[in-house]
Amino acid sequence: MKITIRAFADYREIIGKEVELVLSEGKTIGALLSDICERYPELRRQMFAQTGELKEFINIFINGRNIAFLDNMGTLLVDGDVIALFPPVAGG
Amino acid sequence: MGEKREKVNKPDDERYNRQNLIIGSDGQELLRQSRILVAGVGGLGNVLAAYLVAAGFGYLRLVDYDRIEISNLNRQVVFQEIDVGREKTTVAKERLSLLNSGIRIEGINRTITDETVDELVQGIDLIVDALDNFSARFILNRASFTHRIPFIHGAVRGFLGQATTFIPDRTACLQCLFAKSPPPEKFSILGGTCGVIASVQATEAIKVVTGKGDLLADRLFFWDGLNGEATTIIMKRNPNCEVCGEHGLAQGKDLR
Repeated sequence: MKITIRAFADYREIIGKEVELVLSEGKTIGALLSDICERYPELRRQMFAQTGELKEFINIFINGRNIAFLDNMGTLLVDGDVIALFPPVAGG
Repeated sequence: MGEKREKVNKPDDERYNRQNLIIGSDGQELLRQSRILVAGVGGLGNVLAAYLVAAGFGYLRLVDYDRIEISNLNRQVVFQEIDVGREKTTVAKERLSLLNSGIRIEGINRTITDETVDELVQGIDLIVDALDNFSARFILNRASFTHRIPFIHGAVRGFLGQATTFIPDRTACLQCLFAKSPPPEKFSILGGTCGVIASVQATEAIKVVTGKGDLLADRLFFWDGLNGEATTIIMKRNPNCEVCGEHGLAQGKDLR
């Protein structure tokens, strides 16, 4: 299956603006991110705490839905999914 | 000295000549009739309120509980050095009345809480979010949904900014998209970033009220000033949203 990652701001500088990947079926977003972090240790440092937990407030959306309201890191990816990674922006 | 002007807001006023070319005097009349809540009079709220008043929106309610500090002046361009220590809403009202004396501006020095929000949105047609924290935004979002008032979200941090428009019953709401409130912190903020996002919000306000164009509905405008890039990110409604979802708040009821 083919999925696309769109990365913004800090994450774009590490993995590039848009990445297309061909993955085997049945992969979760958590497994995918862990693979990507193997390749880009800087991404791991930015996204995950030392305990391996995802840092709070980082926005991971799949086809417009925040994974916090899906199955979090256990959310299964399917062919054609578009993943958006962007940092929290909250000031005013 | 400029001429003394009548303190009324007329859609055919010469001051609106240039925008009447695109929205017409009908559109200008719609702006004149609309009542806007500007939540927060900080970096976003300063620019937003100035553009909304200049554009001729008939009534603005400015809400903020803060006083002006010298460190606000890198971005809060309606304020001046002599204003340090004064209430933001009072000063903004004073200054913006000089910009367009035909606009009714109300300044309310209050915090947005579950207890105050219903009164603050009373009689309002459009909510513009210029807040600096998500806890208050979530409260305002709930009020937007229960009272069916469109809500234009904006937020900034450093070189980054985001904006999107929520139309109750038609689009996702703030709670569909963001799970938690990031902890309040001293954010880095640039004036230019506030200008970009507040301008996008002011443009959305004109579109919501006049019905022109394609709103930033179910799309998050994302501005990355450091890389000089603007993009939109697709957003979708959460069917289980605790505010606007199937089992959310006051579903189907118009409480206004």
